[in-house]
Amino acid sequence: MNWIHMALLGAVAAVGLAMYGFSSHPGDGADPALPLAEANYVLGDDIDDYNDFMMSGGPPPDGIPSIDDPVFIDAAEADLEPGDKVIGFYHGGEARAYPQLIMVHHEIVNDQVGGLNVAVTYCPLTATAQGFERGETTLGVSGQLLNSNLVLFDRDTRSYFSQINATGLRGEHRGETLSEVNLVWTTWERWRAAHPDTRVLSENTGHLRNYSRDPYGSYNPVGGYYGQDRTMFPLMHSSNRHHAKEMVVGARNSDTSVYFVRSDLAREQVQTAGGFLAVYEPNLDTGYIYFVGDDVPEVTPLGEGSYELGGEAFQAGDLPLEQLVPVEAFYFAWHAFYPDSAHP
Amino acid sequence: MPTAVQTLASILRLPFYRRVVVVSGGVYLILFLIALQDISRGGRAFQFLTVPFSRMFERTGALTFEPIAQLTLPGLTILISPVNVLIGLGISLLVGLNLAITWLAFRQPRACRFNRSTGVLASLPALLAGGACCAPAIVLILGLQVSSLLMGVFQVLIPVSVVLLVITLKLILDRTNPELLASQEYRGTSPAAQ
Repeated sequence: MNWIHMALLGAVAAVGLAMYGFSSHPGDGADPALPLAEANYVLGDDIDDYNDFMMSGGPPPDGIPSIDDPVFIDAAEADLEPGDKVIGFYHGGEARAYPQLIMVHHEIVNDQVGGLNVAVTYCPLTATAQGFERGETTLGVSGQLLNSNLVLFDRDTRSYFSQINATGLRGEHRGETLSEVNLVWTTWERWRAAHPDTRVLSENTGHLRNYSRDPYGSYNPVGGYYGQDRTMFPLMHSSNRHHAKEMVVGARNSDTSVYFVRSDLAREQVQTAGGFLAVYEPNLDTGYIYFVGDDVPEVTPLGEGSYELGGEAFQAGDLPLEQLVPVEAFYFAWHAFYPDSAHP
Repeated sequence: MPTAVQTLASILRLPFYRRVVVVSGGVYLILFLIALQDISRGGRAFQFLTVPFSRMFERTGALTFEPIAQLTLPGLTILISPVNVLIGLGISLLVGLNLAITWLAFRQPRACRFNRSTGVLASLPALLAGGACCAPAIVLILGLQVSSLLMGVFQVLIPVSVVLLVITLKLILDRTNPELLASQEYRGTSPAAQ
């Protein structure tokens, strides 16, 4: 066997090794424990089309390792700048902050907060932080992308789920919607002010990474990929209506979807579109969305995130209306999944 | 007729070409590890962390693997992934050898039975090997859009570049005359040597 034969043999073996991860799809199993939504979300496209469009982002399944045994520290110990982005979650009297600089390297934390088993998920390419009840299973990063967005899988049934539409793409849970919890995409300064006793995800993740660096760019200040009016991967639907990386607050139910541009909502405080009502919460710089149908109530801002409805004052997140789980996302990503979304 | 290995040994007996291999291979290895982000900016205080050795075979990409040690210095973080380093060393050695014989072909075309421009073609696989490690980083920096076809190409760039590096090395070594190299005239460390 001469050199060239050996080189060709080696290359075939290397390509085989490289392709193994992409062809090895998770297998079958039973997972009655994974909590699902009572009603499935509306989808912008057929699930077969999603599967056809899904593509490898590079890593194999679990090549981006989720954090499965998270360690938390007190707020005073956290080495964070006031303007650093964090994902906040509050449940059952416990507050958690997941720094974006850690999440960008892992994308999923399988956690238990206030007695609830949740998966905190984050996709850096679409700026989406979404929480899902996970029951007794854990969620992992599949390495596949759909419209630049994270495709995750549950480790029991090995079903694949799209993050933004929270719906199964293949496997036992195809077409079924995960049970979502409300996460907040905000800054460390704002989250800490709202929840001084918050615990913070530690860099002691069980994995070795450079947690002082974001490979895509920066949020504090905004730079790199996060500020560019360009996207990296093909999209099923695209639009120039807004800057690609404009942050929108979207929501969907079983029939329809909506988005509000966050900066517009911050200016106007209350917006309505397509039977949805959105109110701005200034302390966390976020929005809450309610489904009101044709009977749009009169909601008046009182300042400091407080609103008057029917003669009573409520906080932005406590209006006595049908509240949906809001998703903050780059505009291009929301539009790619929900091109027919209502908007103001 | 000497074998390619014998010819290579003859070339590497000359200190100048050994230096070309070591320097170009070393530079390539560092660039390779930077492109994989195993060497990156950022880091606050001195710290050395490890995880179990068994993690070294867990894949993070098509042909990239988990680090098992991390050295953090003020302003610099080095992740030590033995498999990445091994792959990088292999490609770096091939790149270094190709560049050394490219240099030989350019400076002393008679010894290689090539004209100069043909000899320089030997450096093309080395450039492709450069693309193999840097392409994803370049895409990210320039904000280019990546199709599924291009993602597929990225997955095989490293093995393809290794094959091309071996083939060009073999082809040029077969056309190199080590006896001419042995003469004082072809020890060529300066332009005057020709």
